[in-house]
Amino acid sequence: MDQNQHSLTVREKLSKIDLSGLKKYTVVFILFVLMVLFSFASPYFLTWRNLTNIITQNTYFIIVAIGLSFVMIGGGIDLSVGYQMSLVGVVTAMLMMVFHLPVWLAFLIGILLGTTLGLINGLIVTSIKIFPLIATLATATVFQGISYMISKANTFRGYPEEFLFLTKAKVIGIPFDVFLALIIAILVSLVYTETVFGFRLLALGGNEEASRLAGINTRRMKIAIYTICGFFTAIATMVMISKANTTNSSFGPGTEFIALTAAIVGGVSFMGGEGSIQSLIAGVLLLAVLGNGMQLAGWGTYAQFIVRGLILLGAVAFDQFQRNAKSMTRVKQ
Amino acid sequence: MNTEYIVEMKGISKSFGGVQALRSVDLELRRGEIMGMVGDNGAGKSTLMKILSGAYQADEGEILIDGQKATIHNPQDAFNLGIGMIYQDLALFNNLDVARNIFIGRELVRGPFNLFMDKKRMYKKAEEVIRDLRVDIKSPKLNVARMSGGQRQMVACARAIAFQSKVLIMDEPTAALGVTEANKLLGLIRNLKEMGLSILLITQRIPDILSIADRVFVLKGGQRQDILDVNQCCLDDVVTMIVKGKDRNGMQTPEVEYQSFG
Repeated sequence: MDQNQHSLTVREKLSKIDLSGLKKYTVVFILFVLMVLFSFASPYFLTWRNLTNIITQNTYFIIVAIGLSFVMIGGGIDLSVGYQMSLVGVVTAMLMMVFHLPVWLAFLIGILLGTTLGLINGLIVTSIKIFPLIATLATATVFQGISYMISKANTFRGYPEEFLFLTKAKVIGIPFDVFLALIIAILVSLVYTETVFGFRLLALGGNEEASRLAGINTRRMKIAIYTICGFFTAIATMVMISKANTTNSSFGPGTEFIALTAAIVGGVSFMGGEGSIQSLIAGVLLLAVLGNGMQLAGWGTYAQFIVRGLILLGAVAFDQFQRNAKSMTRVKQ
Repeated sequence: MNTEYIVEMKGISKSFGGVQALRSVDLELRRGEIMGMVGDNGAGKSTLMKILSGAYQADEGEILIDGQKATIHNPQDAFNLGIGMIYQDLALFNNLDVARNIFIGRELVRGPFNLFMDKKRMYKKAEEVIRDLRVDIKSPKLNVARMSGGQRQMVACARAIAFQSKVLIMDEPTAALGVTEANKLLGLIRNLKEMGLSILLITQRIPDILSIADRVFVLKGGQRQDILDVNQCCLDDVVTMIVKGKDRNGMQTPEVEYQSFG
């Protein structure tokens, strides 16, 4: 009996070790270490101007990563976000610059288009039951082709003032796009932690078959998350082209890699069922600080790609290790 | 309402591709009884139960719940009729805690449009269910990934009874458990019966059934063989029925085989 009692307490102790919490702090800790490192390496790094630059240059990455996190937590992946941006960007720009539509209408059509692209991804992933990795790789190529066909490889620049409002205006002293990203982050964080949808999303990513057996309409949920991803990607596109005040079909591709890396570094599990907005943002900022710091410190712009790749590897390895550790403790019992 | 049977399945047939898994099977489950479901591998036990729980749909046949004709197209339909199933692979979520595993798919909600989860009520209710079951799960906030096989079964049971299911289907609940844990679970199943549930228990362990069930339903080759009363049969009767079937048709074949092997 005594022995039984003892084994129970050991089991309790094991259950209290929460590695996901550790992971959350790891990102913030590494971010902090990097910032200290770079502030020694370059006198320009730790200036107000540079730090605000890092944030304003990355708002659209944050918004894309948040959109992507819906898909990833649900156990899927969307490699096409960068190409959705390319297509939505040129269409919105052309509506304003070539067809001279009112800004609000062009904006609305752009958002609707992005949402539809996400919906298409969702429909394809759920109806042809293939890996979302392959499905969205295919749609990515299609989106890029359409983008170039529509833009005829032209660049569209010099948008109306109303459109530049997105990045030039300020709300209580903060640039509008930073404010927008902040609002989105808070709302989505609330969705993840407080709503039935957020709860079911974790369940879907954790065990799809069990979700179905629990009476959840998994197909509808999967379509929904790709659509939501498309919606946020479209919003991010507006921020991106407004900030650059120019766009062509090459604007966007590549974003998916940074958003994906940031999400995984920020603790969104590649296998689904896990993730939080706070660490996701820390993940985006970590990559941003890395790029910015290495450039300022004169360690070369290109080396940052290597470091980024290594960080992605490290984060995935950590994710895998954590999973194994979880199942190991169960086996031992 | 006051029919003798809580569940009646009539003429259920199901095939997967060219394989006929069930041939016109009838089943009657009495109110408040534990019925064992036995049969060889591939006899169709799980398929029959999955039809009742809405995971599969029958090609033919009808289901009556409380004497009323019922249509079960999906797990949600079955749930609404008060039928809960605990799957062999448990269908738990390793990334979620006990309370969330219990309430997934039927969350307690609050706020506008029922958008938000009532976490407070969920954790409180989960704690009550665990206490009612008298199982050794310390807190509804524990993650199920770090639990033992027995505890995981308890979570699955808690999930089924938290919503006043009338009928509980259990697919080989003791299969992966050690002796102590299996016995604990059998005790729990008896408790569930006392709480008024009617239970369908699929298992390969016939002694388990003889110790807690009221009747045994025997399937062979997708056909119903018989329903035996536990008080009027022994282990051998059940095993014979499983292997040879009702008409003892299997009798000749094995004898021929024995002869050919000398």
